[in-house]
Amino acid sequence: MIVGIPSGLLFYRYFPLWKSFLEELGADVLESGETTRSILSRGVTRCENDSCLPVKVFYGHALALKDKVDALFIPRIVSVEKRTHTCPKMLGLPDMIRLAEDGMPPIIAPTIDFHEGFWRNYKAVYQLGSSFTRDPRRILRAGISSWERHRAYRNHLAQGLKPRDAMNGDGQKLSDGRVLKIAVIGHHYNVFDSFTTMSLLDRLQGMDVDVVTSDMIPEEVQRAELRSLPKDIYWSYEREVVGSVLACVRRKMVDGVIFMISFACGPDSILQVVCEQERKAAGNLPMMCMVIDEHTGEGGFITRIEAFVDMLRRKKLQELRETRVA
Amino acid sequence: MKIAWPHMGSIEVAMTTILDELGLDYVLPPPSSNRTMQLGVKAGPEFACFPLKTTLGNYIEALEAGADTLVMIAGRGPCRFGFYAEMHRRILSELGYEFRMVTLEFHLNDLPLMARNIRYLKQGKPLRAVYQALKFGLAKAVAVDHIERQALHQRYLDLERGTTSAALRKAYRKMRDVSDYAGLPGAQRECLEMLAAVPKREVHDPVKIGIVGEFYMVLEPFFNLDIEEQLGNMGAYVERNIWLTDWIRPTGNNPIGGHHDRESEAAASPYLTHSVGGEGIHTIGYTVIYAREGFDGVVHVLPFTCMPETIAKAILPVVSRDVGIPVISLVIDEQSGKAGVETRLEAFVDLARSRRRHASRQT
Repeated sequence: MIVGIPSGLLFYRYFPLWKSFLEELGADVLESGETTRSILSRGVTRCENDSCLPVKVFYGHALALKDKVDALFIPRIVSVEKRTHTCPKMLGLPDMIRLAEDGMPPIIAPTIDFHEGFWRNYKAVYQLGSSFTRDPRRILRAGISSWERHRAYRNHLAQGLKPRDAMNGDGQKLSDGRVLKIAVIGHHYNVFDSFTTMSLLDRLQGMDVDVVTSDMIPEEVQRAELRSLPKDIYWSYEREVVGSVLACVRRKMVDGVIFMISFACGPDSILQVVCEQERKAAGNLPMMCMVIDEHTGEGGFITRIEAFVDMLRRKKLQELRETRVA
Repeated sequence: MKIAWPHMGSIEVAMTTILDELGLDYVLPPPSSNRTMQLGVKAGPEFACFPLKTTLGNYIEALEAGADTLVMIAGRGPCRFGFYAEMHRRILSELGYEFRMVTLEFHLNDLPLMARNIRYLKQGKPLRAVYQALKFGLAKAVAVDHIERQALHQRYLDLERGTTSAALRKAYRKMRDVSDYAGLPGAQRECLEMLAAVPKREVHDPVKIGIVGEFYMVLEPFFNLDIEEQLGNMGAYVERNIWLTDWIRPTGNNPIGGHHDRESEAAASPYLTHSVGGEGIHTIGYTVIYAREGFDGVVHVLPFTCMPETIAKAILPVVSRDVGIPVISLVIDEQSGKAGVETRLEAFVDLARSRRRHASRQT
């Protein structure tokens, strides 16, 4: 059985986990690869036009896999931590894809919800496994080994590898001790999709800039920063984004922050204000909010990035010069 | 302490009653207007959902009118509404206003905070008085919902356009002035009689339109561009799925709307199997229910970038095709104009009407 995993949204976070779990159970896993112009335009035509960019991209990936697979694997991730939720779009995703077009393959959509406690999730995963094999030991083994894979992947990300490199466990690091250090913060699918971000990470490296992503900021640091906010943020992945921005601007871990937002992203639209206010309160570390959508032109985008980097570099060099004189 | 809250449909009647009963001071922001919207749009984040901006506008106007305590419901998602209060507090403080934001979080984990905030709001009044006031206020809100529903159902029969709406406005005032619990049933009856006395024409087999969508947009007539009234004036029998008191009722049964939440979730289950926050699943569910009940069309109202309703909007075309009911989604934001919406609604009602004629001719 060929199971397709669209390379969008939570792909960048859980693909090694999902892949190794399904493969251990005897399924063949097919992913849709990097986003391309045709995937994007297919998604944009099929998807609801008010949706956010990553959902449109996800539609494109799912449709690209449509005729190649026996089933699509799109888990319904409701909550990955007690007292938090993921974004509504992720709750509705399996249903949206199922009804996206006539003749969609069946969708495998286990519900992961940590409000319900550990056992409900265990049961959901077990049920998923038992549709492939009847051997309970095999499911358990698959679960454990895939979790190890996931941990290793997250470790690689934390060391500064890009997702594709982190899956192989080897590659050029984003951070390499260069003079200028810029944080690129945003949801995984906004930062790591090299097509919609116009290869931002590579370009920054080409400009001789060290890049810090939210994976490279320890979770404890993010949590510690979040604790100072008067109201808890209740979106799981948004907590990482805001926590990282706060860590960067308050602890001055970097020279500047690029905050990647996709147009019509609900949580980002309001938490951007929180980040801006906290940034101003914490000493005005330069931060640029880049809002991208399917119409973003490469020229304008690159010009803004270059200008931002130039500005930061000039500031940094001046600082270095001043400290040398002193 | 001068309390203020944003406008939303008939919430004013309930809130003023509760606060009057307790003898607390409040400020009504001026009625929502274009200025409200512009203030909110200017101060609010660019692509936040529309109600965040309009309520922000209401708050700004309330603060200008002398309010110093702002009340808002908050929550824990997944919809953005749960974060409104915090956003309003941050944005208004940055603009330099001085006030206190009091949030009411209906969530088990936040009960201590809620208790603290209620203690602050009640200003030393005994809890028993608070209970009495809430009981009276909510009972009044239920009565108002009944009256509103009657107006909704009969507007298409108006002999002279606008008479039902005028009677409804009079009924609001009358209900607001009721000062004791015992007088409520009588006042409600009088109001219903007032609506019944509106001169009516005879209509056979009217076209039936259901309104579904996001609760603020459905309930707030100024910002939904009066679609209820517009549809009624076009000669359509109108029904809607969102009612103020149904919405705040924790049990899930909806005495005004008439269908239990479970019913609409079951109706939605072939299309959407999990709640997506807000009213997303009920939008789908009620579309199916209205189709079953022989309605000719469904108008779906949502604010721009609303997350749950955008999901519903993505799924609705399939529902519409499957159950055979035309659906129009009206995405509303600061750019929406009344004339444009009117034209689209007119075309939609015409389509629904011709479908109905066609169907009745075939039987």
